Amino acid sequence: MVEQDGGGLKRIGTGEPRLDRIMNGGFPSNSLNIVMGPPGTGKTILVQQILFQNVGEDRPVIYLSTLSEPIAKVVTYLQQFGFYDESKMMDRVIYEDVGAALLEDGSAALLDRIRELIRTREPTILVVDSYKAIHDLARDEFEMRQLSAQLGRLVSAYDVTTFLVGEYGETAVSRYPEFAVADGIVQMIREPADNRENRHLRVLKLRGSNYLQGSHAFSISHDGIHVYPRLVTPLAPERYGSSGEKLSTGVEGLDALLQGGAWRGTSTIVLGPSGAGKTTLGLLFAIQGARTRQRSLYLNFQENPRQLQKTADSLDPALDEHLDRTLFFLYRSPVEMQIDAVVVELFEMVDSQNIERVVIDALGDLELAAASRERFHDYLYSVVQHLAARGVTSFLLLEGHEDLEYANRYQDRRFSTLSDAIIALGYAGANGPNPVRTLRVVKARNTAHALARQQMDIHHDGVRLSKLETP
Amino acid sequence: MSPGVEPAGRAVILVVEDEPEIRELEKYFLERAGFEVQFADDGELALEMVNTINPDVVVTELLVPKLDGLALCRAIKGDESHADAAVLVFSFLAAAGRAKEAGADAFLRKPLARRALIEAVQRLLRQQREGEDG
Repeated sequence: MVEQDGGGLKRIGTGEPRLDRIMNGGFPSNSLNIVMGPPGTGKTILVQQILFQNVGEDRPVIYLSTLSEPIAKVVTYLQQFGFYDESKMMDRVIYEDVGAALLEDGSAALLDRIRELIRTREPTILVVDSYKAIHDLARDEFEMRQLSAQLGRLVSAYDVTTFLVGEYGETAVSRYPEFAVADGIVQMIREPADNRENRHLRVLKLRGSNYLQGSHAFSISHDGIHVYPRLVTPLAPERYGSSGEKLSTGVEGLDALLQGGAWRGTSTIVLGPSGAGKTTLGLLFAIQGARTRQRSLYLNFQENPRQLQKTADSLDPALDEHLDRTLFFLYRSPVEMQIDAVVVELFEMVDSQNIERVVIDALGDLELAAASRERFHDYLYSVVQHLAARGVTSFLLLEGHEDLEYANRYQDRRFSTLSDAIIALGYAGANGPNPVRTLRVVKARNTAHALARQQMDIHHDGVRLSKLETP
Repeated sequence: MSPGVEPAGRAVILVVEDEPEIRELEKYFLERAGFEVQFADDGELALEMVNTINPDVVVTELLVPKLDGLALCRAIKGDESHADAAVLVFSFLAAAGRAKEAGADAFLRKPLARRALIEAVQRLLRQQREGEDG
């Protein structure tokens, strides 16, 4: 008895592991899929990335160009990408223009050619780009319906996974017959945001498979498509506050105010105006982690990394011993930053390096990179929950008025509800001859903290708190 | 002849399949591999043809009209006059266990891929020859 059974679906990887994860492993093998979206969203790049990712030894993959872009142009641009492999062209990756045959013999020419290719070349993957353009050739809707139904039968008859690419708008999904025969639909979108553009993709349908719903940001680089899965808030952070362990903040006086430090797995917002000492507190928190073998990550968007390291050096002469062992710096330029990309990168680092402490310097930069303030709050909430679920303790630095009520009311910021603790930094006697820095614990869940403002002095080797003498 | 596929002589294969696109592809690949191919698009017709053409191998989908693939398989295997005919159940259904219970000699899951189909048929023919020789 020869058995080649197995009920599970085989998958076709996209060449982007994060997109595969969104699709529960990739496109099901032997499926018929539609990649849709306006011009210039990256549809052709995605399908070509899939082609090159899945080139096998025995059977080729085939790209059929219809009536949109000539093969010469497609292939010219293709060669810019890192996934392109010249050695696979022609024998194993076949590009063919069927536009002329379509113009001469009508839409049925596509079926004839695909039937012929299945018999003679036995492709594992077949792309038709653009399938929507064939609508212009069809005499009426019935012809298109017939063509799509026949195409569906033909490609499901053989062991081939098919991608139909098209510049379809949202309304096409309920109108065009190809969507009825499709097993999978991926929509690619480009949205203007201020003076840049955000790209998103959505899986609209994936028969017989779970997938991560919603919009996922993506970018296009030399390597192809990079996808940043939407951050889904974990249902119940398992380790949230359960350790009952306090972690030193790296500032003795602050630990005393917090009755031992920050609870493990909690998030603390460090709020204050420019120059108030937020970065110093953040660095001390990270360094304290590194010193006690808790791997710490400092994510920074503003300060030149070399400058930041210099500041950290002065706070801990043994910094070199910790660097890239227990202390990690991650710098990302705020220019052209995508919040989704940064958040994905942050959690990949947290997971791969077993990070226990995180400092984000600063939330304002992330806020600017978000499409909207509302969206940013959702993000921040998810980030905080994910950190908690992993038992990661964080300091989130936030530039703003030290008076949280003022910040909430006049700056429309509602960060206070997102964190477990809030430390407000500021100045006392700012207009007098001897202004001093101040620190106040505004909120600390499950801690009977003192409310009084403290004087905060920054020294070359750390921060000291003392009773504030001036009002 | 495609590389890796050995010549198969003129063994007669009866393909039981009601989906024309699949049937045409099966016919094309099997003929190209050197087999003689006959069709039936439902189970009853297939059973009649088994009596008249005496095929070496019956390749049947399970989901065919009138008499399903399992019933066809049982009917063939239950009739001593067809003892030589091998049955390959070739289906979209992951039903290897039920095919085996019905007496099938082999099970292959769709979708159709030329090499897997030809190799499965060749294997059955080899087993038949070895049975006859032994």
